[in-house]
Amino acid sequence: MFELIRPGTQIDFVGKRHIWVGISSAAILLTIVLFFTKGLNYGIDFTGGAEIQIKAPATWDIGTVRKEMDEGGIKGLKVIQIGLPEDHQFLIKAQGDDKSLNLVSKQVSDILGKKLQPGEYEIQRADVVGPAAGESLRTSGFLSMFYALLGILLYVTIRFDLRYSPGAVLALFHDSVITIGVFILTQKQFDLQILAAVLALIGYSNNDTIIVYDRVRETLHLHPGLTIEKGVNQAINETLGRTLLTSLTTFLSVFSLWLFGGKVIEDFAFTLMVGMVVGTYSSIFIASAFVIFLTHRQEKNAAKQKAQGGKPKRTVTVRPEPKLQS
Amino acid sequence: MTRGWWGRLLLLVFFTVLSIVYVTPTIGNLDLEKTKFPFKHKVNLGLDLQGGLYLVLGVDFNRVYKDVVDRQASSLESRMKEKGFAATSLKVVRENQPADDPKIMVTYPAAKREEFHELIKKEYWTLRIAGESSGAFELGLSGEFRGEVRDRTLNQSIEVIRNRIDEFGVAEPSIASQGTDRVVVELPGIREVDRAKDLIGRTAKLEFKMVNDKAMSPEQVAELVGELEKKNEITYKEGQKFSEYVAKINQAAKGRVPEGSEIAFERTQGIAGESLGRVPYLLFSKTEVTGDDLQDANVQIDPENQRPNVSFSLNPRGAALFDKLTGDNIGNRLAIVLDNIVHSAPVIQSRIGGGQGQITLGQGSGDELMKEAKDLAIVLRAGALPAQLDFLEQRVIGPSLGQDSIKKGAMAALIGSIAVFLFVTFYYRTSGAIAVFSLILNVLFVLACLVGLEATLTLPGIAGIALTVGIAVDSNVVIFERIREELRAGKGIHGAVEAGFQKAFRTILDANVTNAVAAGVLLMYGTGPIKGFAVTMLIGIVTTLFTAVFVCKVVFDAYLRHLENRGAKTLSI
Repeated sequence: MFELIRPGTQIDFVGKRHIWVGISSAAILLTIVLFFTKGLNYGIDFTGGAEIQIKAPATWDIGTVRKEMDEGGIKGLKVIQIGLPEDHQFLIKAQGDDKSLNLVSKQVSDILGKKLQPGEYEIQRADVVGPAAGESLRTSGFLSMFYALLGILLYVTIRFDLRYSPGAVLALFHDSVITIGVFILTQKQFDLQILAAVLALIGYSNNDTIIVYDRVRETLHLHPGLTIEKGVNQAINETLGRTLLTSLTTFLSVFSLWLFGGKVIEDFAFTLMVGMVVGTYSSIFIASAFVIFLTHRQEKNAAKQKAQGGKPKRTVTVRPEPKLQS
Repeated sequence: MTRGWWGRLLLLVFFTVLSIVYVTPTIGNLDLEKTKFPFKHKVNLGLDLQGGLYLVLGVDFNRVYKDVVDRQASSLESRMKEKGFAATSLKVVRENQPADDPKIMVTYPAAKREEFHELIKKEYWTLRIAGESSGAFELGLSGEFRGEVRDRTLNQSIEVIRNRIDEFGVAEPSIASQGTDRVVVELPGIREVDRAKDLIGRTAKLEFKMVNDKAMSPEQVAELVGELEKKNEITYKEGQKFSEYVAKINQAAKGRVPEGSEIAFERTQGIAGESLGRVPYLLFSKTEVTGDDLQDANVQIDPENQRPNVSFSLNPRGAALFDKLTGDNIGNRLAIVLDNIVHSAPVIQSRIGGGQGQITLGQGSGDELMKEAKDLAIVLRAGALPAQLDFLEQRVIGPSLGQDSIKKGAMAALIGSIAVFLFVTFYYRTSGAIAVFSLILNVLFVLACLVGLEATLTLPGIAGIALTVGIAVDSNVVIFERIREELRAGKGIHGAVEAGFQKAFRTILDANVTNAVAAGVLLMYGTGPIKGFAVTMLIGIVTTLFTAVFVCKVVFDAYLRHLENRGAKTLSI
């Protein structure tokens, strides 16, 4: 039997939780600061603008493309070479109001048509998004992240209880924020596809958390005398093999997409890769730490209530453990 | 083997064979027109894979509201005249700027306030009193009417666009509303953005023309068109411009049809999936009345026989034109032509004076008639109240980039999957091989579902399939790790497998449901390619539950039986 993690492994994840929580909090804070100072490099999906990908003949270098487009009257022009140098692929970016943007794709094809023979060039892709459309895409995009988190919060609350769900959502929030943070740091373009990847991550990353939680609940149920710290730590250790294995296989899939999937899907796969690493980390170190924190708070509250002589008020509802049949 | 097991195996074989049938045309890249293979559907490729044009259009509602308010104002003005308010010099003041909520200011003499208030309340559900200042009412559109205007403007914009897209002859255009104020148009295979924009962005042109039934009967016209097509080798195929076809027919028909007449076509929707049919008409070329003179059109139910009809109203100029036209042409047919395509040609029954008319419909069931009436009202309104469309997003993907994406995406998904397969087999040995078998079936089922549900495969969708493989392994891992634990706890192989599958099920379900929540949000929010990702993820979640739990168990049971027959006490896991 090949084993990544030997049974009976007891790594102390929980004991140093303050350090992990500290590191993560710092990373989140840093992201928030960067978000407002450096900012995301939004793609045209969110800002509005035009992006036209062309394949130019070998005689044209980036300078030629820039010169021709500039002379052709493209406003807010930026030219970027993409792919391998021998592909001669360029991305022509333009900015402007609705009216000028509307004309860009025609302008570009006119310029190319005038200077080159048909067959010498190709317009591979053209995206034009009006500024107003970009604005609304951005709003609805971030709203959708909020809805996804809310949906998961509800589900975890129903399946587990209120001690667990805030931790799960916090971990997801942590994952998406830090992934976005990586995008701010690298200044990679943040567009609709990336947002979709972040949403997919929210779903995926929660898998790990759920599986750890499930085991925490089972462990606490089987060994009622166990402290919450010990129970959580044991659960994490028992599921560690599975967590790492799954992360590894999923990572293999995504890594292959990133490496071989081509330019169009590269950043999408990159987002998933970053998110998976962060997500695996958070389900081990962050989500469970929060369960411990909430359980302690609940106990403290109960003790306080008792000391005051009142009836212990239950601040959280504990749902009965669903029975397993065998 | 027990009977239950054979039953489950049969079910598994059934699904597998069905799925293979479903994906064969796609994977084998069969030519659907020639192949003898009984199943003739391929997976729909998204625009990002096959190339094409994606447009998001916004409807300029402010202009529409202003037009509607204008018309309400003129109606109110004439109604007030009839009621005798005119003598007391009431004024309707219209705002000129298009606005989100345009208003009418109506001044009234103090003595008539109640009477006027009554008129608005009773006869104008379309208006609301937005404010009142000394001697004047401020009127705006009522919420209910605003909603109705919004809905029908959106529908009419879609209808107008559809009408024009036919011009392109695109095989599978998709025109759909998005939210309350947008229309998304997807034209696979089209690359000429500017022509498409030109065509779609133009305002609709509605004309009324007389049908020349005196010169030729409908059968004779159809015969003539058939003959002309044959003689001049004029054909119309998908992918061709319809207007060119019409022009060619008319060119060929010169001398065969009377001077001052032309052939125009009605396009009828064939049975689902079939191409559009066309019915020829011989029309007088002269345009009798245009959409400019039409004010509004609505579906109404005839109180006598409960049948729907379309009523319309004309402005004074249109009313005068219509009065004369219908008086002179009783018994003849009047064609309603939108953007050069005939939509209906009702017979004029009587003289229509006063600017109010009705179109009654032919035979058919209640639902059919209702749909026909609605469609016709939409066509009429499209001419009467043309909505301005703005281009919010335009995306073109060239065919070569799409081809490249398919190749690279499929290759990456394949390499990733093989890496996962190797790893799982290495780690779990025989059990791993069983998992790999279930994973391969998983991919097969995902593809079959995509074909079966007529969903669209996009590049992120391909990524979704690759990701499904990665995530599906999770379910296997959860089960196998459980089995290992049970074995360590001293259970026999049979008991360990049973307990492993059972205890892992709830965990797997929980994990997949949360995944589905995120995918569901993505499906609602996403457009185009991203929707494709959400769809494959959702399908993948369902097939994963099926393969990891059901398929794997069937094979595992056979494996256990095999081990027991040999008296083996250990499991290769």
